Amino acid sequence: MPHGFCYRWDPRIVWLHVISDSLIALSYYCIPIILVYFIRKNRDLPFNRIFWMFGTFILACGTTHLMEIWNVWHGSYLLAGIIKALTAAVSVLTAAMLIPLVPKAMALRDRTHLQEMNRNLEREIAECKRLDAPIEGPLRHRVTGSFIGAMLLTIFIGFSSWRSVRLAADDADWVAHTYAVLDTIELLSKHVIEAETSARAFALSGQNPLLAHYENARGAIAQDEDALRRLTGDNPNQQRRLNVIEAQIRAALEFAEIIVAQRRRSLRAPSTDEIPRTESLMNAVDATGQEMKAEEIRLLSQRTQSATVGRRLTRFIIILGPLVGVSLLALARLAVNREMDAGARARTQISTLNAELEQRVQQRTAALQSEVAERKQAEERLAGQAEELTRQADELAGSRQALEAQALTLRSVLDSMAEGLVAADERGKFVIWNTAAERILGMGATNLPSRDWTQHYGLFLPDTVTPFPNDRLPMILAIQGEASTSEMFVRNNAITTGAWIEASGSPRKDKDGLLCGGVVAFRDISQRKADERQILKLNDELETRIMERTAQLEAANKELESFSYSVSHDLRAPLRHVGGFSQMLMEEFGPTLEPGARHYLDRIQSGTQKMGLLVDELLNLARVGRHALHRQPTSLTPIVGEVLAILQPECEGRQVEWVIAELPAVECDPVLVKQVFQNLLANALKFTRPRARAVIEVSHREEHGQPVFMVRDNGVGFSMKYVDKLFGVFQRLHQAQDFEGTGIGLATVQRIVQKHGGRVWAEGELDKGAAFYFTLGFGKQAESKTNGATAGGQS
Amino acid sequence: MNAGELDLLLVEDNQDDVDLALHALQRAKVANRIFVVRDGEEALDFLFCRGKYADRSFDRPPKLVLLDLKLPKVNGMEVLKLVKSDLRTKTIPIVIMTSSKEERDLVASYNLGANSYIQKPVDFEQFRETVKSVGLYWLVINQPPVVEDSHTLAGESHDHH
Repeated sequence: MPHGFCYRWDPRIVWLHVISDSLIALSYYCIPIILVYFIRKNRDLPFNRIFWMFGTFILACGTTHLMEIWNVWHGSYLLAGIIKALTAAVSVLTAAMLIPLVPKAMALRDRTHLQEMNRNLEREIAECKRLDAPIEGPLRHRVTGSFIGAMLLTIFIGFSSWRSVRLAADDADWVAHTYAVLDTIELLSKHVIEAETSARAFALSGQNPLLAHYENARGAIAQDEDALRRLTGDNPNQQRRLNVIEAQIRAALEFAEIIVAQRRRSLRAPSTDEIPRTESLMNAVDATGQEMKAEEIRLLSQRTQSATVGRRLTRFIIILGPLVGVSLLALARLAVNREMDAGARARTQISTLNAELEQRVQQRTAALQSEVAERKQAEERLAGQAEELTRQADELAGSRQALEAQALTLRSVLDSMAEGLVAADERGKFVIWNTAAERILGMGATNLPSRDWTQHYGLFLPDTVTPFPNDRLPMILAIQGEASTSEMFVRNNAITTGAWIEASGSPRKDKDGLLCGGVVAFRDISQRKADERQILKLNDELETRIMERTAQLEAANKELESFSYSVSHDLRAPLRHVGGFSQMLMEEFGPTLEPGARHYLDRIQSGTQKMGLLVDELLNLARVGRHALHRQPTSLTPIVGEVLAILQPECEGRQVEWVIAELPAVECDPVLVKQVFQNLLANALKFTRPRARAVIEVSHREEHGQPVFMVRDNGVGFSMKYVDKLFGVFQRLHQAQDFEGTGIGLATVQRIVQKHGGRVWAEGELDKGAAFYFTLGFGKQAESKTNGATAGGQS
Repeated sequence: MNAGELDLLLVEDNQDDVDLALHALQRAKVANRIFVVRDGEEALDFLFCRGKYADRSFDRPPKLVLLDLKLPKVNGMEVLKLVKSDLRTKTIPIVIMTSSKEERDLVASYNLGANSYIQKPVDFEQFRETVKSVGLYWLVINQPPVVEDSHTLAGESHDHH
């Protein structure tokens, strides 16, 4: 059932609802359109999504109101319900999304405020732009929108009119129909009464014309019934009633037929008791007929009312529609007019501004022209003055040039220096800062107070981390009148790896001898520092290597020691036994032995003696090797004397001339040096044996500030081609039968000399003699007695 | 051999050396009563009157001990140290007679209280001379302390050769 029934089709109520709903829907539809436009223009708008939700929510609300209008005339409540459900869903969703946004939106206020300001600014810019662009797109859109709105409205009005006309026609049809039904019921009722009356009249009178009337009426009843059934085909209630009335009519007609039939058979009038029966039958028919009529009349009044409402709506739309259309067009016209007015105003403003500009340009040009003229005059005046000045300047230039040349010389001297040189006045303001200073420190002079210098230039103590104390800076000390030299480490933004400098500061004095600042010269000593470090490192390495080598040598020494110990014990004992027992054999059984046996015993004895000597000398060599050097100032002449005393027995029966020079005192180990002289002199004595007169000379000479000692003889000498073999252990240049010996003596000499850090060498010529030279290393000379006197020879 | 009349104790493990030494001593005719022990332990037993020498008396010590350094069981240096550090034996003259010419042996021996240090010469003739001189000095010339007073003489220095 349409909602209009609820409003009892009261036009006032219906229209109140329809118009209100229409306006609400229209407004609701407008809001999302504005929102969408707003979002599209403000892409950076916060909470963009909630705006879309709002749009959807409002759109859905509008749609429910449209459905309200629709349902005044149509009962589509299911559709309306679905739309309401959707609206509800969107509303709940929007509300849910809105809750968490509230705190954020609060926080947004500042930003919104900023955006507001931004928008104001934009509006102002737009206002300015509007002056340059009188008619723009938005206006066109607005006018077009108005026209489209008007067109849509016109179409809507047309549709409504057409619909109203159609509804009116339908209403008229329904009225006619109702009247037709009423007429037919009336006719049916009339014909039934006619048939009944005719039947009763025939029964009473028996007149045949009445019978014919009765028959006609019956035929008319059948026709009426058919017509009625056709007319009420769309109404089941009326059809039901029709069935009832038809049954009642049939009962009444059957009764009438019975009366008619009795009359025909008996030809007498019916009894009076049958009258009431006829009447009750007729009343039933009449009641049903009235019922049907009442129903039709009710329907009619209902339809008439609906038709009236339809007609009024049509009239309203026809009147209101054009009015709205005209208003829209009028609005469009108004907008166009306003825009055109604005455009015109803007054009006027532009031309006014242009005119103003033109005027200003002209004024400015005029002003410039006058200015140029004034300036020209001024220049002329200046030129005169300049000439005067030039003359004065030339005079000054002469003296200044001399000064400049001097300054330039100073400057170039300062800049060509490899050392950094800076000078400051008594207040700590730098007056000289040469290029080397800038290069070494990585930056130029500073205006900072002196207490900030250390930090500014990145100066550190040699530990490279403690800032250099400001009050110890050479420049500060120099300004206070104190000269100083410091090493410091520089590390700052320009010299990131750091550099070492050595700075010397000295006070500066004016011509009256008063302190007037300080001067500091400094140089980069990074390389020197690096070298020092390198040297230290190498020293350390060397130290380590020496320690290692010493350890190795000590190990070797230990080995040698145990070897010599073992030799002295184990080798000497059996040798002694061989010698001892062979001696005992000779003594106790010699006289009884064959001469050949005695000879062999002699050979055994001399062999053991020789071997004993060899063992002893080898042990001596070994002992020299590990003998700790005890250097002490030693006078060598007495030592030579001691050796000569030892050798005395071997001189027996020979003519030997000793030429012994006075020898200096030197730093050496007397025990070992004595062995050197003993070995060399014994050798000299041995190899001069073939000479009738042996001459053995001991002397020394200075060479490279060091004494070189010499032992020379006139013996058998040696060939220089074997000189290399001279000092080797067991190396001999003579046959054993000519000169006895072990070949260890010279090796021992060399060992001792080398132990002293000295050098030993020999010169010789076969059959002419030999000379041995040696030095005793860096031991300082205790006494520089270089007396060349020769000691007397002895035989 | 009567231990009480002993002139000389020879501590030597090598038979050859024993023979040579005995030969030399006999030729020199300085010692008639000689006793030979072959290792350091036996020497200590003898000198401290213990073990198989328990019947010996501290009252009759040898007039001289000739001690080799290289000995089995207890070496000569150890024997020297024990003898010279005991009040009952420290007055007995001990002469080290060894093949070693090592200076450290020599120094160590004197530090431990050796009365003399002699390196055995390789040459037999020299050996004989040396033995003769030693025997003559210590057995004939040297005046030993009175045995009864040996304890009271502890701490006095002795002549070193």
